[in-house]
Amino acid sequence: MSESATKEATSASEVPIKTQDVQPTQAASDSKESKQSGSDAKNTKPTEGDAPKKLSPAELKKQKAAEKQARRAQQKAAGPAPSQQASQSKEGQKQQKGPKQGPKEDKSRPLPVRRRPSQSNAPISQAPRKESKIEARQVGLFFGHLYSQPRKHSMAGASKDVHPAILALGLQYSSYTICGSTARMVAMLLAFKALIASYQTPVGTSLSRHLIQLLGPQIEYLRDCRPYSITMGNAIRWLKDIIVKTDPSTPEADAKRDLLEEIDMFIRERVTAADKLIRELAVTKILPGDVILTYASSSIVEQTLLQAHHAGINFSVIVVDSKPLFEGRTLARKLANAGIKVRYFLITGASHAIKDASKVFLGAHAMMSNGRLYSRVGTALVSMLANAQSLPVIVLCESVKFTEKVALDSIVGNEVAPAEELLSEAERQNLLPLKNLLPKSHPANAEENNTEGAASAPSDVLKWIDGSKNLHHLQVLYDVTPAEYIDMIITEYGSLPPSSVPVVHRLSTNT
Amino acid sequence: MAPGVALAPGLTSFLKSLKTNPADSSVEHLISLLKRRQIRNSRPCAIATAALISKVVGEFKGNDATRLLERIRQVGRRLTAAQPREVVVGNIVRRVLGLIREVVEDNVGGEPANNSETGRSTPTQSQDLASRPHLNSTISSMSPLRHAAIEPIETSNYSSDISDSGELTKRPPLLTSHTSYAPTSTAPLVNSLFGLFSQPVESSTASTPTVPNSPDGKTPHSLNLDRLVDLRGSQQYFDLKGEVMSGIMELQEELEQSDKQIADFAHEHIHANEIILTHTASTTVQTFLAKAAKNRKFTVVHAETYPHDNAATHEVLLTGRKQDARAGAPHDDDDRWKCLTELGIPVYVIPDSHVFAIMSRVNKVILATHTVLANGGLVAAGGAHLIAQAAKSHQTPVVVLSGVYKLSPVYPFDLDELIEYGDVGAVVPYDDGEFVDKVDVEHPLYDYVSADLVDLYITNLGGHAPSFLYRIVADHYRPEDTVL
Repeated sequence: MSESATKEATSASEVPIKTQDVQPTQAASDSKESKQSGSDAKNTKPTEGDAPKKLSPAELKKQKAAEKQARRAQQKAAGPAPSQQASQSKEGQKQQKGPKQGPKEDKSRPLPVRRRPSQSNAPISQAPRKESKIEARQVGLFFGHLYSQPRKHSMAGASKDVHPAILALGLQYSSYTICGSTARMVAMLLAFKALIASYQTPVGTSLSRHLIQLLGPQIEYLRDCRPYSITMGNAIRWLKDIIVKTDPSTPEADAKRDLLEEIDMFIRERVTAADKLIRELAVTKILPGDVILTYASSSIVEQTLLQAHHAGINFSVIVVDSKPLFEGRTLARKLANAGIKVRYFLITGASHAIKDASKVFLGAHAMMSNGRLYSRVGTALVSMLANAQSLPVIVLCESVKFTEKVALDSIVGNEVAPAEELLSEAERQNLLPLKNLLPKSHPANAEENNTEGAASAPSDVLKWIDGSKNLHHLQVLYDVTPAEYIDMIITEYGSLPPSSVPVVHRLSTNT
Repeated sequence: MAPGVALAPGLTSFLKSLKTNPADSSVEHLISLLKRRQIRNSRPCAIATAALISKVVGEFKGNDATRLLERIRQVGRRLTAAQPREVVVGNIVRRVLGLIREVVEDNVGGEPANNSETGRSTPTQSQDLASRPHLNSTISSMSPLRHAAIEPIETSNYSSDISDSGELTKRPPLLTSHTSYAPTSTAPLVNSLFGLFSQPVESSTASTPTVPNSPDGKTPHSLNLDRLVDLRGSQQYFDLKGEVMSGIMELQEELEQSDKQIADFAHEHIHANEIILTHTASTTVQTFLAKAAKNRKFTVVHAETYPHDNAATHEVLLTGRKQDARAGAPHDDDDRWKCLTELGIPVYVIPDSHVFAIMSRVNKVILATHTVLANGGLVAAGGAHLIAQAAKSHQTPVVVLSGVYKLSPVYPFDLDELIEYGDVGAVVPYDDGEFVDKVDVEHPLYDYVSADLVDLYITNLGGHAPSFLYRIVADHYRPEDTVL
């Protein structure tokens, strides 16, 4: 779902130029940023998350303790996981693990541990799950296991091996400038292309070995900016696979050219061509007079609707949207500009929106092997309503989004969004007059006496929320839609029921 | 209309102006406030309506029940026409109408045997048993028949112009069936029917025995004597106005107390370490949870109800109460009030889209409501249907908290009629002119939640199944008042 944000995704051939455009400016601003925060570049943690907050030392201590605890719990959680996974996905394991663990310096040692929760959701066993529940009392309800480290918003502390294109990309990830699983994957592959193009094998190593090593810090940096999407994981696995398979005897220039071509091919086959096939199939499902309801924003849904409109089918669209990204607005605007009749609801009005709809088209972040749809949070609600109304729910999804992972609920595996995103600037502004109504025991009140007369800024509201011990804001990015709510998945392999996802996944990875 | 008020027009300014302004201009004032949505949500509307009606009754001259009924009905008609979706306004008016009818019936019916309760009921009963034993049982158990049986007495005791108020014509089939088995002489009929309606009234109080003070004001004899004297000196026949006024005062008391009464049931419904999902900034829910929080530990997940109630929700969570509630209960000192987080209850605010993701871990859903309908369905803030439906699909129990005053005798024949649409600017800011121009932005404020999605209602009378609500409606409203 929601590969809206950038247009990079659409065509493989255009995109390189575009990203190239973006890079220099982005990089320039980035370097400025890094200069600013250069002083505390050593300890990245306080710099990123706490820039606007300023906690008291006691709280900082507490937070650190909690983080430590969380890390320890995850270490335990990660313990039994690898053995399980090894049997499950031999291929992926071989490529991800082999090169990663071997030659890396000591710095990378704790990394596989930390990344486990964000990346793999399915195979966490029963025992560690209970542990994370206990610690969840402090952070994020039962989502405590997902709070590993705050999202990175600057390039400070990035390894010197990280390519500038990747540096820029990471910031675009963390600010949602590039958002949506396909867009993120394509942008990443293009950045890797830039990396490979400027790559030179050092003397004494082979390309296949060293390049894989070099990919490590890049991927790690991107993950720090925002956890992987499933598609990114799939693409990285594939890329590592072809790098490893590169014959060491091929001249470097040829090998590089081959790799670049392979990446282009991948994008063309798995995204561009797949989108075209899906589009054409999905358009046949839109009949004159239909009212198509869609949630948030998906590039493939958008393409489909536009194509149907160009084909002269007379239909209208209802876009349901939600806080905090409001991706649906972009979609609604694009569709309306194309001349389609669009109605726009927020999720609280979805029960009304669904009454007028005749079909529901959804995008996907990923399709789980047990047929469940992992997509922008709120999708499950919309498909539930549609199911209650007996409306067909159609998921448009490229096969690159299929994963062998399984998920039962939206809690074990998910991505936590920063809590401060819950309140927009305007909302904070609205809450400001409440200052003197805050409870007497609230820390903000005590603070107030010291800094009398200080102009109150909207960010103060966040401080109140941080300050009050029991009030938390919680936000995740995805939810899991049960398979029974989904009637059809349209992929480039054709239309299938949710139960066929594992079969198609195997098909698409084996060939 | 509101002279010299510094406050923004709203409930507080209205209540203030009510003290000085005459009834008629106050009616106009409230109508304009309702129309401009300066008074909104159930509780403020109910408080304002009750205050206005008591003013109207207070200024009413004479002792003619029919004219008083007609006067209030006319005020009620105008108020509901001003804002039909605030069903509570109509509810309060209907409650007062029912109150007047009851006062009239009690006094007229109770007069002959006023000195002893037993002496009143036994002779009529024996008379009844003698004449039509089968009829007695059917009437006391079935409410529609009961009301039908009352009507002829009302007409016989009210002044003659009752016929053009349309009450007689409202239920012709029942009336004819009733007259068919009535004996030819009128005197014994009237007598026996007095006995009949006095019994159901008692039985309806008996059906809700747990309530400390019955909201209907069903014990007029004990209540009136003190207050009546200073309200009206001349007490010819019986003091209609005084009794109605005291009934309205009880109604106002009920409005004030209902949250606390509902909260008293909290311990029966919340267990330790529960995870409770709720929404909106409802004071009722907050009071309920706060009461339970006094000696239980649980976790609250709060959907913020964006975009129509999110500001109030955050306000409630930060400060403990919302503007409305502060205005509505100015005498309630704020120091005593503590918000949930102060009571040590962890509160997690989530966007509404997260409801499904979180529902699998939620033990109980507690919903606030705007209006409860007679079929057991409810109208609540937008998003309530999503929550209820998600709860249903996860088999999570849904509990709805509602004062009896929100319970309406209206059946939802046309659902869309009940749904109000709000400011689109809250969904997409108007600065985005191009967007607002091209796209139909809609902002429904309310959701209808059907009865099958609700597991339990908790009112100030106790817990009820949704299927039982019609009975409580029958206890509180007269069918002849359903259409104002």
